[in-house]
Amino acid sequence: MKLKLMVLAISLVSFSGAAAAFDFGKLLEEGINQELNKGRQTQPARDASQSAAPQPKSKIDAGQLGFALFGDYSPEEETRIGRQIAGNLLGAVPLVRDDKLQRYVNLVGDWVAQQSGRKDITWHFGVLDTEDINAFAAPGGYIFVTKGLYQRLNNEAELAGVLAHEIAHVTLKHHLKVLKQSSLIGALGQAASHKAKDSDQVVQNLIGNGAEIMARGLDKNAEFEADRVGIVFAARAGYDPWGLPDVLQDLAGLPAKDSRTSLLYKTHPHPADRLAALGEAVDGHLDAVQGKDLPGRFYHLR
Amino acid sequence: MKTFLIPASLLVLCVAAASANAAPGTVLRNDKLYSQPSAASKQAGSVAKGASVNILAKQGGWLRVTSGKSTGWIRLLSVRAGAGGLGGAGLGDVVGAATTRSDPSRVVAVAGLRGLNDEDLKQARFNGAELAKLNTWQATPAQARGFAAQAGLKTADVAALPAPQPAQTSSPWGDN
Repeated sequence: MKLKLMVLAISLVSFSGAAAAFDFGKLLEEGINQELNKGRQTQPARDASQSAAPQPKSKIDAGQLGFALFGDYSPEEETRIGRQIAGNLLGAVPLVRDDKLQRYVNLVGDWVAQQSGRKDITWHFGVLDTEDINAFAAPGGYIFVTKGLYQRLNNEAELAGVLAHEIAHVTLKHHLKVLKQSSLIGALGQAASHKAKDSDQVVQNLIGNGAEIMARGLDKNAEFEADRVGIVFAARAGYDPWGLPDVLQDLAGLPAKDSRTSLLYKTHPHPADRLAALGEAVDGHLDAVQGKDLPGRFYHLR
Repeated sequence: MKTFLIPASLLVLCVAAASANAAPGTVLRNDKLYSQPSAASKQAGSVAKGASVNILAKQGGWLRVTSGKSTGWIRLLSVRAGAGGLGGAGLGDVVGAATTRSDPSRVVAVAGLRGLNDEDLKQARFNGAELAKLNTWQATPAQARGFAAQAGLKTADVAALPAPQPAQTSSPWGDN
């Protein structure tokens, strides 16, 4: 514990000064590796309940994660981080118990994600059982849409547009960038973090409290970028590219004093600003695109 | 019962159609009105940022609107629907005051439903059972391709959009 605090204190000092960070780099790396390995020993059966990935292959040297504070996250590390964030988010709000709905969203989502060019991750999609109107993306391809938002959708192209925006956050690694910036500072405040079954304590220390990172939001330019990139993913998948704009139009028309959108507006620019920014980028570039909106196949949630 | 339901649903349709006829909107950027939903068609006028329009119809990426004496088709992304004016870009207080980002505990219960908030997410504990449930619904790339093909979805060659000029309008919704 003392060592941990000392290491983190050094890391904070070095973080604030670029020159000092260079000198302390190696010492810091060793210290963090030691810390992370220690943390790992307390969680030997971390992935025991995970059937998806074979245990020996997914084994990661925790030291790598320490190094990731300075370098790039590997796809495995990214998945580990995303899995922890997704598991925490699901602790706040469960999934809708509707196999057909969830399967439908995964089939649509994976098809759109195939147009993103990222083949090194496995995509997961889920509809969250809350009236709140929002959608979330976590690193490693974990994407969630709330029931409140899903129920406002009119066709598959709109679903594809919403999912494409979130997929873009993942492929552009927006959350990882935020995480990297705040991880050292966040870790200091997280010396005593919750312990929960199957939870990845090492990653938890990096991401902060629960799924707080989902409430922190991104820079507004990251949101505009995800709209701009997402609309193209949906169009490449063969959908009518106006699905996402139609959803933004719908949200723009909602009453402002609506508790269902308070978190959305805390973490995203207003839909009118998003439409305006998207309009500047799209202009006439999508005029020739002829996509499908598939209202007949859209799975309606009661 | 059935004979009653049909006129009732017709009434709903009429009301919806009537409100669609008069749907207000606000122009988000200076743009042209065209005589057809196509940039190749004859120009029918122009509208300035901030102007109020009535939205008459929608077709693909186009809206048919009236603005003053002009009627024509405008790009969907050049107009915001609803009576909120320029929204985040201009009249921040009209909408901004309601969705305060300073106090997450202040729940404005207009809809009578409580949304997710910071505290819910902060307090969240890892739920391995839900995560395992999520995995059961996962689609393989081949399954997703098959599902897309069933509906006749075909990949389209669409170029990435250019990044915008650096100057973005500032938003009272915050820069978080």
